[in-house]
Amino acid sequence: MIKMRESVIMKIHYGTALGAVALVAIHILFRMTQNFTVSLQYENVIANYHLLPYSLMLEVVLILLSIHGFNGLRVILLELKQGIGYEKIVNWGCISAMAVLVAYGSRTILMAGMGIS
Amino acid sequence: MERQSNREGVKGMLNPTRYGIERVAYWLQRLTGLGLLFYLIGHVIETSAIVNGKVAWDNMLALTQTTEGHIILILVIGMSAYHTVNGIRVMLGHGGIGVGKPGMPDYPYKAASLNYKQRASIWISIALAIIAMLYGAGVLFGD
Repeated sequence: MIKMRESVIMKIHYGTALGAVALVAIHILFRMTQNFTVSLQYENVIANYHLLPYSLMLEVVLILLSIHGFNGLRVILLELKQGIGYEKIVNWGCISAMAVLVAYGSRTILMAGMGIS
Repeated sequence: MERQSNREGVKGMLNPTRYGIERVAYWLQRLTGLGLLFYLIGHVIETSAIVNGKVAWDNMLALTQTTEGHIILILVIGMSAYHTVNGIRVMLGHGGIGVGKPGMPDYPYKAASLNYKQRASIWISIALAIIAMLYGAGVLFGD
């Protein structure tokens, strides 16, 4: 198994945070281009997913936020308690949960973008 | 034995009344982080309704476009604003920016890192979160 230094993981944590802030701002601005309620109508949301650059951006946001969020959870859990077995469970649990969330979100982006429903 | 009895463990770490506003900022950063992670998971699940067609999407919207849904969203806006601004403060602090230089350990032993810049940044994070929540409330309830 490849072991990564915590200092490297924290750099990834900060990098994903900065990237996510910029891209989430664009994601929110898409909702503000028109009336908030109107922008959430089915036709408008589907039109957003059919826009390839926007869909790609959503995928990147999903990956960045999942990495940042689950690494943050991992850090909190490791601050509360330590131990070889516990740390293994926390590390792998967070990586697995992150992978599941990315896979589930990617499924939505792919299916909505390709018009499969 | 004495060391064991003085040991506070997790409770000592959880105590928000120690170390001033920095400990409060530490706790708010973690609580908002957890709140935003739960929201991310919920958001990914709720938006997946789009693949089930217009009826499923409209039914999901009917659940979220309520007063309670708007209040949750306003809280998310506040949590995002605080977590972002305070996170940037923490990042800069880890890089040595704004934490000051170590000085002589003279009584009353005030840590250079708990200087006015750090304290002001924490209050600015809280103020910006409140402003963002008020703006969000205007957009969500103003429709």
